[in-house]
Amino acid sequence: MSLDYLWQITGPMLEGAKTTVLLFFLAIITSIPLGFVFTLMVRSHVKPIAWFANGYIYVLRGTPLLLQMLFICFGLPVIPVIGEYLVMDRFAAAALAFTLNYAAYFAEIFRGGLLAIDKGQYEAAQVLGLGRWHTMTRIVLPQMFRIALPAVSNESITLVKDTALLYAVAVPELLHFAQTAVNRDFTIVPFIVAGVIYLFMTLLLTLLFKALERKFKFE
Amino acid sequence: MAIIEITNLKKSFGDTEVLKNVSLSVEQSEVVAVIGPSGSGKSTMLRSMAYLEEANGGSIQIGEEYLVKDGKYPASAKIKQITSRMGMVFQHFNLFPHLSVRDNLELAPKLLKQFSSAEIRSKSSDLLNKVGLLDKADAYPSNLSGGQKQRVAIARALMMSPEILLFDEPTSALDPELTGEVLQVMRQLAEEQMTMVVVTHEMGFAKEVADRVMFMADGEFIESGSPEQMFGNPRHERTKAFLNRVL
Repeated sequence: MSLDYLWQITGPMLEGAKTTVLLFFLAIITSIPLGFVFTLMVRSHVKPIAWFANGYIYVLRGTPLLLQMLFICFGLPVIPVIGEYLVMDRFAAAALAFTLNYAAYFAEIFRGGLLAIDKGQYEAAQVLGLGRWHTMTRIVLPQMFRIALPAVSNESITLVKDTALLYAVAVPELLHFAQTAVNRDFTIVPFIVAGVIYLFMTLLLTLLFKALERKFKFE
Repeated sequence: MAIIEITNLKKSFGDTEVLKNVSLSVEQSEVVAVIGPSGSGKSTMLRSMAYLEEANGGSIQIGEEYLVKDGKYPASAKIKQITSRMGMVFQHFNLFPHLSVRDNLELAPKLLKQFSSAEIRSKSSDLLNKVGLLDKADAYPSNLSGGQKQRVAIARALMMSPEILLFDEPTSALDPELTGEVLQVMRQLAEEQMTMVVVTHEMGFAKEVADRVMFMADGEFIESGSPEQMFGNPRHERTKAFLNRVL
């Protein structure tokens, strides 16, 4: 096996990795804010809002992401009458499924972060005269993000690996090109190269989150 | 004239009546120590004054204004305006862990925009100096001892220029050797004529600094008097029994 061969198979895989990275960023940028919205909804005093959010989280966490992806990609378009309006680009459908699914996980992570904040923090803010908005943005959220950081780190590493599910809706990404090369050349090497590329991406994330945790240590 | 006037205050948590019929009058510049067994309602009374608990009945008057009158509260803006005249110091400090000592002091005044940044900065420096922690201005609360944290918390409360300071067992979470530095700051405030209501287990402080000591048990004041009288010659059996246990 030559370096030339390695280079020849790595090229398309890196090309595919662009799709992986694109999906990762789309999903993380949209699901974190959406997840926080669900966190707030779960805590809402308006019962139907809390019920809806709880039901949402239950369904999205309780069914496989793969099912959700197939549901949006191939299920919605076959619904009678309205189905034809629900046809989406397969990548867009997958990205939507990722966002909706990860938002449910982030909602639970943030909820845990809020629960970990001592009641005394709210009381101190109140006696200092801070209103609800300032208490939330200046006291609660910074602490919640700090507490949630390790779990968010964990979740985003899982997200990198979950992007391989694109394979199931035939959107060419990193794993797709590895599989193609394995079939074509009858060698295990492309799988190993794919693994190394995934490891590299998760390593970058790990380092990033470690740096964030150090920065927000508050010591 | 009384700056705090509490009349027939009542508070229940579910079926438990925590404050039965509490009345208290505090004069300007007076230091009142509230003592009594755990669960007697001392903290609940104090927390009601800061609107951390909502009373079920009775009145709390601060100066001319009613925080609650016969169990009825005014609009929230009014409540905020009245409670802003009081500062509170908690048993567990409740410093903001994600902010430096200086930012703990400056956050609220900056957000409420009552003063310029320069004024806020000079005030925070003065107050940190006063509690002996100017050198810790850039430290985070996690790097401070309990006594230092409580002194920061007192300075933070003073940033809002309160007319009244409420202390909820300010030394109960501290190691015994660290209570002195906090009591020293409180003693100094008393000398500067700050009006203070102090819920405390620190009998030494009550004896030495308070103008008046009030003994509470089972949601009511049982007895009150000067420190000399309360510690030297308590009249009520329950006061005697309590003091015998703690002294």
